Amino acid sequence: MDRMDTAFREFFAAAVAPRGRARHLVPRLADGPLTLEALAGRFRIEATERGVARLYPGRGVAAASARARQHAAQALEELGEYLAGRRAFFSVDVDLTGVAPFQARVLAQARRIPFGETESYAELARRIRRPRAARAVGNALGANPVPVIVPCHRVIRGDGSWGHYAFGGDMKTRLLALERATPALVGCASTRIVCRRGCAHEQRVGESNRIVFASVPDARSVGYRPCRVCRPGAAA
Amino acid sequence: MDEATFTRHAEAYAGRLYAVAYRLLGNRADAEDAVQRALLKAFAARASYAPRWAVSTWLYRVLSNVCIDELRRRRPPPEPLPTGGGRRAPRVEPVDLARALNRVPREARLLLALHYVNGLSYRELAKIRGISVNTVKSQLARGKTILRKALGD
Repeated sequence: MDRMDTAFREFFAAAVAPRGRARHLVPRLADGPLTLEALAGRFRIEATERGVARLYPGRGVAAASARARQHAAQALEELGEYLAGRRAFFSVDVDLTGVAPFQARVLAQARRIPFGETESYAELARRIRRPRAARAVGNALGANPVPVIVPCHRVIRGDGSWGHYAFGGDMKTRLLALERATPALVGCASTRIVCRRGCAHEQRVGESNRIVFASVPDARSVGYRPCRVCRPGAAA
Repeated sequence: MDEATFTRHAEAYAGRLYAVAYRLLGNRADAEDAVQRALLKAFAARASYAPRWAVSTWLYRVLSNVCIDELRRRRPPPEPLPTGGGRRAPRVEPVDLARALNRVPREARLLLALHYVNGLSYRELAKIRGISVNTVKSQLARGKTILRKALGD
């Protein structure tokens, strides 16, 4: 062991919490991890041939055709999984026809914010090259016809406060907390394949084989390859 | 595993779990939060705990998963390399080491933390991260090289 090794060892050992404090780190186990599964039945979904067109507080589904009903059913299933902390992305189609071009750009940009991350109204305005339109961005997001699926809850004020949210500030807090507690990329230790959380393959990975990764390049660097079904590398 | 047994194990390892989280996340609040979330997750999933695993291996796995996901949400550090000009530092200061550690890629950083806090073997590290022993070795070597370079050694 050389001088550096000793320095590394001392450096890491210095962070160990003493026993007295360590005991306080053990949480009340009865609380359990956060899930919002109970909320899954509190949305009303309107779907068209092209995808989910509206989502708002209520119950049930409005869909005129078989194809629309399929979209609505898929949206309900994905919402349930998302709220239970078992899904980190939505693959259901969204129908934004009838939305004004500026709002469509804002919503498209909001969909690019990675799961579990946040961005300010001003940042989003800059990204769509309308740096002075932060307020208009806020209005466009406020009128988001498909909240949750188009993640307008990931856009917050520059000072870190929440701003307006259609389902209420408390819901925004809970959604962001849920996303914080849900990993986005999960690898399987036996197949060495990495999936997005919620992919059909990922849902079959046993608890003892689950390895969380921060990015696809990270996973590749230790010998995992991206799933060909959910294609985590192509996602934001 | 019942609640009392789990709590006993959790208390025994909490100090070292905290050290790993602290070295990865860099501040006390995030580290405490990560340990608590990891313990809640581990307790909720205790039915899937296989006795062929050491309890510590399992707890480190769950903690690693929580910390890595926490790092995912952070933007890459903008810090430039320290300009030591090739001068050999007489002593390695903890603050330099903490800064240097930030330059190590996440996977290697995690393995370094687990390795140095707990003295875990390559086999245990491989099991915790679901990778091969050779990958553990190469990642650790890579991490150490970057640390030495950043420290101007």
